[in-house]
Amino acid sequence: MIDYPGVDPVLLETADRLFAACCDNRQLLAAEEAGWAKDLWERAAEMGLPWISVPEDRGGSGGGLPEALAVLRVAGRHGAPIPLAETGVLAGWLLAGAGLSVDPASPLTVVPGRDGDTLRLDGGPGPDARLTGTAHRVPWARAAARIVALVGSDDGWQVVAVPTADVGVRVEPDVNLAGEPRDTVHLDGVEPAVLAPAAAGVDPDALVRRGALARVMTMAGALEAMSELTLAYAHQRRQFGRPVATFQAVQQHLVVVAQEAAVVTMAATVAATATARADERAGGGGGSSSSGRDGAFEVAAAKLLANQAAHTATRAAHQAHGAIGMTQEYPLHQLSRRLWSWRKEYGDDRYWTVRLGPLIDAAGADGLYPLIAGG
Amino acid sequence: MSRPAAGPAFRPTKLTDVELALRDQVREFLAAELPHGTFRPGLGMNSPADPAFSRKLGERGWLGMALPARYGGGDRSAVERFIVTEELLRWGAPVAYHWVADRQSGPVINRFGTEVQKRRFLPGICAGRLGFSIGMSEPDAGSDLAAIKARAVRVDGGWRLSGTKIWTTGAHHNDWIITLCRTGDSAERHAGLSQLLVDLHADGVAVHPIPFLDGSTHFNEVVLTDVFVADDDVLGEIGQGWAQTTSELAYERGGPDRWLSTYLLVEQFLREFTGTPTGERARDLLASAVSRWWALRQLSLSVARSIDTGGAPSVESALVKEMATRFEQDVIAAVERLVDLEPSPRSASLFERLLAEAVLTGPSFTIRGGTLEILRSVTAKGLRP
Repeated sequence: MIDYPGVDPVLLETADRLFAACCDNRQLLAAEEAGWAKDLWERAAEMGLPWISVPEDRGGSGGGLPEALAVLRVAGRHGAPIPLAETGVLAGWLLAGAGLSVDPASPLTVVPGRDGDTLRLDGGPGPDARLTGTAHRVPWARAAARIVALVGSDDGWQVVAVPTADVGVRVEPDVNLAGEPRDTVHLDGVEPAVLAPAAAGVDPDALVRRGALARVMTMAGALEAMSELTLAYAHQRRQFGRPVATFQAVQQHLVVVAQEAAVVTMAATVAATATARADERAGGGGGSSSSGRDGAFEVAAAKLLANQAAHTATRAAHQAHGAIGMTQEYPLHQLSRRLWSWRKEYGDDRYWTVRLGPLIDAAGADGLYPLIAGG
Repeated sequence: MSRPAAGPAFRPTKLTDVELALRDQVREFLAAELPHGTFRPGLGMNSPADPAFSRKLGERGWLGMALPARYGGGDRSAVERFIVTEELLRWGAPVAYHWVADRQSGPVINRFGTEVQKRRFLPGICAGRLGFSIGMSEPDAGSDLAAIKARAVRVDGGWRLSGTKIWTTGAHHNDWIITLCRTGDSAERHAGLSQLLVDLHADGVAVHPIPFLDGSTHFNEVVLTDVFVADDDVLGEIGQGWAQTTSELAYERGGPDRWLSTYLLVEQFLREFTGTPTGERARDLLASAVSRWWALRQLSLSVARSIDTGGAPSVESALVKEMATRFEQDVIAAVERLVDLEPSPRSASLFERLLAEAVLTGPSFTIRGGTLEILRSVTAKGLRP
């Protein structure tokens, strides 16, 4: 039973059945080879899953951020190899916030914004606008119909989308540790398909924050699945005449994985609630300021904890599995390789530690506990 | 990849407006009653015993909060008790006098006691006037609690109890000890155990202090020699002691006392080092610790809410306590690495005194209330594929 506070369990069970049917180890290995799971994408698109939280009048499926994130958590359980977070929670959020629409059939992706990216908007944010430069680590770019990016201009941050089919777009394949596409995208004077000023408060920091929230929730799902898989294995595997789960030393590993899953799932859910509340206050779809209880602290703390869990839980899970966990034929690697990748995406430990610093400074000694206790 | 199983369940929960108002009241009370710099703050439940302070809490209705009003309790919830204890602990308030009575003796008497016992003991607990000790551990029975040897034999009108209890916090100033003992013989070790309410001032009770390694004296050995315990002072049913104790332990685990023992150390670090080069070097530690406190608090709050909605989160409590007490110790090590000083328990700096106390008492955090190893075992039994 997968449950998520305030979200219809039927939606989550339906999503779970779909991902379970399309994401066994063999299917995931095939998707890694192919670059993504096109058949899974088509079935998820039929159900409208990628566009949850994007308003219907913007071409989305409607529903709220909690629904979208709950589906991401389910996707994280299965390692679903499709641009689910990128299409709705990230690209859809940027586009809808800028008054633009999504095309309810095509996968989208978003430029995360890495050091060394050189995207620039020439010709001003008008009809002469052209995009040039290189963007790194763009998830699923080779599968996406359009690449959405946040670019600076004299008139503030602009949301742009460029079709990957444009002659000025070159996608150079690259991957993360899980073999998921993290491509390098070269743009050479590309005319944006759409362009509009970003919603108030939406800037690269806000994008990283939203991306981190999406990854944290996906990591929570992966950690839950990792805990269940490790538990099942330890109860089935026998050594010295009994299940290894009955040895205290092995139980320690099982407990650590369960603890990390509990911590990250709780952190992700509380961060999601705080972000959804801030969205509502900002009038929907907007970004949020970096002061006050707007989810900034919660998302930063949650991603830092998830990154740490990716280290602690995978180590314990692999130790409990022994050699079988190191093979391609056994599915543990589908979870551990993803966790090792996702912990570096949308803010590693250093990034979020630096972001938490000013929040802690502002709290000071007297405000430290209220920061921890949410007020 | 794998099907979800019925594992530990933590439902996120938020404080209601009523609960937030209670928190404000406690904060105002502490700011007025114990302003910073005017009292000696302690590390969590290791703080000093101050019966006068405990009585003040009782007057405000902040002890025995979840007990029925007809016995002097507050008819309030586990979450409301969570809020009050969380604020007291993070302030370093002197909670030791009422701590055990409020956390577990009161609830266990309310659950298993007779009407007469409830009327006799609960009002005193709720007023902060009755201190209780835990009579579980013995010299040869620690983690293996079912190995206890204290024995009560049937006599006219009651029981005659002999044995030795050890590591008994506060027995030298408390009034009663809930004593687990053997009242019957059985091949099954967990059978034949019972809980007796023993007056610490009764004939045959001798309390010997066991100085803690830092010289403090909250620990005791309690030697019971032919102590008469009237039938009226049997808690619950004869022979049901194991089940009752297991349920009592659930009250002992998973609350704010399991993750706030070293909070004040970090807050005081901020007071004394903000703006210094050492303060700058603390950023990694602070970001990491504040994040973990935030998440642990949410898990712990979820345990309290689950109790209020009829759940029995014993596995969840053990899972949280194991992880939270390890974290309490990690905080000490991280802070110690950060500062270049040789902590003196007599320092003029409160931070330094707290650090000295934390280093000296820190190892107990992962022992008291169930060792890490026992908690892992309890948790693992609750994790089923």
